[in-house]
Amino acid sequence: MSLWSETTQERAREIISRYPEKRSAVMPLLYLAMAEDGYLTNDGMAEVAVWCGITPAQVRSVASFYTMYKREPTGEYLLSCCTSISCMLLGGDDILGAVEDESGVPHGETDDEGLLSVEHVECIGACGGAPAVQVNYELIEGVTPEKARELVRWLRTARPKVVNTDEMQELFGGPRSFDWGISEEDGAIGPYPAFQPLGTVGSEGGG
Amino acid sequence: MTTLLVTRRMTDHPTDSHTLNRYESTGGYIQAKRAMDSSREELVEEVKASRLLGRGGAAFSAGLKWSFLAPARPSYLVINADESEPGTFKDRQLLERDPHQMIEGIIITAVANEAHHAFVYIRGEYPKPARRVQAAIDEAYAIGYLGQGIFGSDYDLEVTVHLGGGAYICGEETALINSLEGLRGEPRLKPPYFPAAKGLYMMPTIVNNVETVSNLPHILSMGSGEYAELTGNDDTGTFMMSLSGHVNRPGNYELPHGITWRELIYDIGGGITGDKKLKAWIPGGASAPWFVPDQHLDLEVTKEATAAAGSMLGSGAVIVMDENTCMVRAAERIVRFFAHESCGQCTPCREGTTWLEMILRRIEEGQGRAVDLDLMVDVSDGISIGLAWPPRMTTICPLGPSAVSPIMALRSYFRGEVDAHVDAGGCPFLPTTRGAPDGTNEGDRRSEEDLSTSSGRVSGGRPPEMTGEDVDRVGGAS
Amino acid sequence: MTDQPPLITITLDGVEKQVPEGDLMIKAAQDQGTYIPRFCWHERMNPVGMCRMCLVEIETPRGPMMVTACTDNVADGMVIDTKSDDVKKAQEAILEFLLANHPLDCPVCDKGGECPLQDQAMAYGPGESRFVEIKRTYEKPIPISDLVLLDRERCILCARCTRFSDEISGDPLIEFQDRGNETEINTFPDLPFSSYFSGNTVQICPVGALTAKPYRFRARPWDLQKVESSSVQDTAHPRIEIHASHNEILRYMGVDNDATNHGWLSDKARFGFEHLRSEDRLTTPLVRRGGDLIEVGWPEALDIVATRFDLIKEEDGGGALGVIGGANGTNEDAYALSKFARIVLNTNNVDSRMDDGLSSHFLAASVDRATISDLDRADTILIWGPDLKEEHPTLYLRVRRAVQELGKTLVVIHPRATGLDDRATLKVEYRPGGGFQLLDEIANGQHEDVAHALSADGVVALVGIASHADGPDLAESVAALVRQKAGTCTLLPLNSRSNTFGALDMGLAPDLLPGRVGLDSVGCANLAESWGAFPKVPGRDARSILEALDTGDVRGLLLVGADPMRDVPDPSIVVAGFDAAEYVVSIDMFLNDSNRNADVILPAAGFAEKTGTITNIEGRVQKVNQVRPAPGQARPDWAILDDIATSMECSLGLASAETINKEISVVAPAYEDVTWDVLEWEKRDGVVVPIHGAQAINHIPVAIRGSAAPGAELTLHIARTMYDDGVRLRHSPSLHKLAPGAVAHVNPADAPKLGAKDGHQARVVTSQGEGQFTVVLDEGTPKGVVYVPFNQAGGSRLGTDPVVRVTVVSK
Repeated sequence: MSLWSETTQERAREIISRYPEKRSAVMPLLYLAMAEDGYLTNDGMAEVAVWCGITPAQVRSVASFYTMYKREPTGEYLLSCCTSISCMLLGGDDILGAVEDESGVPHGETDDEGLLSVEHVECIGACGGAPAVQVNYELIEGVTPEKARELVRWLRTARPKVVNTDEMQELFGGPRSFDWGISEEDGAIGPYPAFQPLGTVGSEGGG
Repeated sequence: MTTLLVTRRMTDHPTDSHTLNRYESTGGYIQAKRAMDSSREELVEEVKASRLLGRGGAAFSAGLKWSFLAPARPSYLVINADESEPGTFKDRQLLERDPHQMIEGIIITAVANEAHHAFVYIRGEYPKPARRVQAAIDEAYAIGYLGQGIFGSDYDLEVTVHLGGGAYICGEETALINSLEGLRGEPRLKPPYFPAAKGLYMMPTIVNNVETVSNLPHILSMGSGEYAELTGNDDTGTFMMSLSGHVNRPGNYELPHGITWRELIYDIGGGITGDKKLKAWIPGGASAPWFVPDQHLDLEVTKEATAAAGSMLGSGAVIVMDENTCMVRAAERIVRFFAHESCGQCTPCREGTTWLEMILRRIEEGQGRAVDLDLMVDVSDGISIGLAWPPRMTTICPLGPSAVSPIMALRSYFRGEVDAHVDAGGCPFLPTTRGAPDGTNEGDRRSEEDLSTSSGRVSGGRPPEMTGEDVDRVGGAS
Repeated sequence: MTDQPPLITITLDGVEKQVPEGDLMIKAAQDQGTYIPRFCWHERMNPVGMCRMCLVEIETPRGPMMVTACTDNVADGMVIDTKSDDVKKAQEAILEFLLANHPLDCPVCDKGGECPLQDQAMAYGPGESRFVEIKRTYEKPIPISDLVLLDRERCILCARCTRFSDEISGDPLIEFQDRGNETEINTFPDLPFSSYFSGNTVQICPVGALTAKPYRFRARPWDLQKVESSSVQDTAHPRIEIHASHNEILRYMGVDNDATNHGWLSDKARFGFEHLRSEDRLTTPLVRRGGDLIEVGWPEALDIVATRFDLIKEEDGGGALGVIGGANGTNEDAYALSKFARIVLNTNNVDSRMDDGLSSHFLAASVDRATISDLDRADTILIWGPDLKEEHPTLYLRVRRAVQELGKTLVVIHPRATGLDDRATLKVEYRPGGGFQLLDEIANGQHEDVAHALSADGVVALVGIASHADGPDLAESVAALVRQKAGTCTLLPLNSRSNTFGALDMGLAPDLLPGRVGLDSVGCANLAESWGAFPKVPGRDARSILEALDTGDVRGLLLVGADPMRDVPDPSIVVAGFDAAEYVVSIDMFLNDSNRNADVILPAAGFAEKTGTITNIEGRVQKVNQVRPAPGQARPDWAILDDIATSMECSLGLASAETINKEISVVAPAYEDVTWDVLEWEKRDGVVVPIHGAQAINHIPVAIRGSAAPGAELTLHIARTMYDDGVRLRHSPSLHKLAPGAVAHVNPADAPKLGAKDGHQARVVTSQGEGQFTVVLDEGTPKGVVYVPFNQAGGSRLGTDPVVRVTVVSK
């Protein structure tokens, strides 16, 4: 008896059908479990185990190998500051400091209302637009400490239901790695990647 | 320098280069349709003749790789879009701005390798590229270029986008295959698990990089001969280089091989920001041994010349550091990356990279000892026996030996800077940047004790100086 | 039978060597006497190349290359250097890396003194560490199961335990968590490492990260006395080493034996020794006086027994006496009992089975009997019988390996889920009691896939009683059908009592004589000469003896290491039999439900308290050795029997276990030349005794028509589990608590109409018994089936009738 809603179960079946072997669906199903519960719970992992025909220990072994499966409660907005080499050279550590200071949330933690989580991460592939941050993996390049503070304030006051990379880049970003082309509507609704097959794209346009 | 292949469309049509309309109106999918009528042998020979080298970092002949495919079927195609090496962001651009070009490359590669199911493994931190690729795939399915009986033939080709979960090591092809099978992303033993023989689900599998397959429509279009003649040297075709760090014009540049580093950094990159002096650069992604201006600035940017000078072009990521950069901190940041991304299988990589990271942080924080540089060199020697380049592997994959490159740079070029840290009891450079102090990246990977102590650190504009306790916790985190 | 690979030439440290093609370098070198240090490599598991300790240098056209000797095969002409400067540098580096985060708590670590990390650090290490940073710390040992503790600080991440539980035992419950330098071994929260084979991970852990609760802090390795033996708590009799100190057994270690266990032990075989040191062991003869059991001396007890047996024999002849048991001792004990029954009691009323087994001739003397290693050579393996994971753990591991590593086709037929389902090519479930119907269907061409698999060239059929409702004839009928269908078919008839096959080979059945000889044949000439006169008419089996106790046709009963009250499936005949029994004598280690009301109880020596031989499920004879004296006045069965015989003024002529063994090798045809000398020296892994000689039975399985499937709405499946309330487990505290207890499994789909939920109490009623059980909802039990594990504490016996009613009595 599944813990998941009928819609989520339907998605799970659809995801599994994309792979020759159901165990391959572990990773997408883990994202699905996160979308269901807001973060990756033990129950969520046990459920994935049932769908994939493996033990919960095996699922947890996989989940814990990767950094994006958050096994602790995570805020609605996960703010990831890159401090790898290219961002570090251009002040990535200062961006992290500004975010921590403005939000009052040290990296690795979540604020009391469960709104904002802050983390520092290794390279997110935005080196040409360094320093860069992500909100729910939606990218903002060319950030300054002041813009980073504005971003934190905006998330807290505007509380966007969907975070959209183009919108945030316009508001808080600077130079980019490359021209992004036209803006799009898609965005994230939770602290996991917004990608349609995983059921996490926020806007109507994403379907 | 004007020859653009894989970035031509996005350069000419900056707003809609990712759409099927634009792709087809600029010659798209013609080569895929042609490939449908070619045999495996013809396609393999054509790509061999183009001397296209893999663009993921290892620079192995793509055609040769295809020719190794074992006869068992089904065979699979996996596109490696798990771009995660610090300094590298070229595939992101290709995925976002010209996904159909990659899909056409996928069709050609699949047909050449008799694969009916392709997977595009995109790193999880790239949701927008993944959305663009998925949208393009959906378009291709809708028009019959993917799915059952593509282009009206009886050839079926399914393409599945698989999102990574945050692990650099999955860019290693066998780790990627494990990850795709729903396992931990740990590299497999080679032998016996060469993907071309025992890959995905133990079946013959081709793993190609995004840029590699994006080149294929152009190779078929212009012919392997013309493609091979684009440059006057052994590195054929064009090459995406990602320029970042202290340069005036960072970004991706599609270049023919053969310019010099001076041209790349000063002409293309616009020189060092603030007109400062160049101190060092990393020529081919975070794994590569570093270059310094007085020895390497006039070398050619080719695979051979870079290898002859003891480094590699790798994934084409060039990270430029100016005169004000603390080399200890830069080294620490790169070693920290490899320690964080080590899968943990091999003892030397798991233990050695973390040990190096701890020593570097200790030196940077003022607790360095005169013996530490030699100790780091010897620890590196334990990870990469003989400290040769390319490394003599003591590990299953090259990740561990990659972490040694910054240490070698410190030893060869910046010994004085390390000594200065030891003598001064701290970093002599202005603290314009200050790293997140404890080396962990995610809240959920840290112990409660860790979290409670770090919460005391919130007040200032930047995290306060590290304490001895912080150093301890590097080893004490759960 | 396996083809030997051709030899190739390699140069190993400058010396040319001939080694088998295809061997891993580490193995080839080891067999040539060159030890390459290692932590993660284990000969019985697939290599992972993780610890990197076994790096060696090989010559290549591009110069010397470092490779791990555990992952690469030798090739002809290969030049391997295991001692070069670079190799030494690598070894020192790896050890320094491993020790960087390894706590130096060797003085309080169980592994200290037998620790590969300690040993190799001494032999290959740098001598001192330059690691001045702070070591990783973890919460000190956490229990990951009821038997195993995990100390993560000590772990060097070699993946031996995870590979074992995943690849070998099929319980992937312990896994790597996190990655890089934060990688650790752990279980899922609230889901313990509850594997029947967990103890193996302790044995193969190269450091003290995994420790066993029963052994923890009890001894230092250098104080241990070590004696090789074989376990009787597993039907394959896996080879073990017994470790004892001051006459106390502290642990068993698995010994690698190609023929049987490959080094592995079930936790029952590994930790089951605890009963030997139980305070409840019987230590003096007990005699009933005025309703109480009174301690007496041996002479008095023997005199009382002899007098009563003599009296019954005199009044009603040997037919009024019966013997049940003998399957839990050595072959020497069993032989003594067989001879005692025949020539002293003058009866063939003797049975080592408990009315739960197959026919004695089918078990002991079938033609085309398989060996365990035949599993590796089969095309198809059929299991139609008990869940091997529960009742035959070594066979379970061997079948698992044969399927997983060697690609054999596996057909499993059983009324509910079994431990091998995940590896089965085909799995068929049937309603308890419906076995004959299924067999007919297969014979008649239904279940084409099964029929096809059974028509393979080489089929090994493991047949036994899957469910108490099946009765003994089904398995033999299955064997007959497979023999008819397969190209060649070898058989392993299954019986789960520890030394049943030894007991039957010694004649502990109403229709068998020592050496697989029938009563009706001429018999072995040597036996006749040795034994003299004895009855030639087949006697009563266990069921018949119990029934005759009730009618009074059998007046005196001798129990030898037997507890029919617990073990006989049909409760009605046992209770009636024991209620009516006139005179009961028991030779046993413990008081049990059957001897609690006996007239005389004689204290017996247990396993490891006597020397002898045992015979496993494939007919392999191995030696078991004495490690400690029996407690108090307890003595081996054979010695007790010899004394009773003397008191009855007969002579068995048994001077010692060794002389018994010599007598067996003369009078029992199958055991010719199988002497202790042979087993101690040239055949330490044992000898499979063949059926040979004109007088041997050579039983050919015959199909017997069975009853049709019951039409009931609910049918009852009763089967044994690894842990139950048997007397030895009851006195092994570490294991006894792992038994499932009095539970009744039903499919969740059946729950609504029964009104049952997990944890409810339900009354389960059959025509033969009834009792109260805790309901467990279980997807592994098919709809319409109620599964009750046999012989559980607090459970009642429900008999063999599959028709059952279930009523929820309390929520």
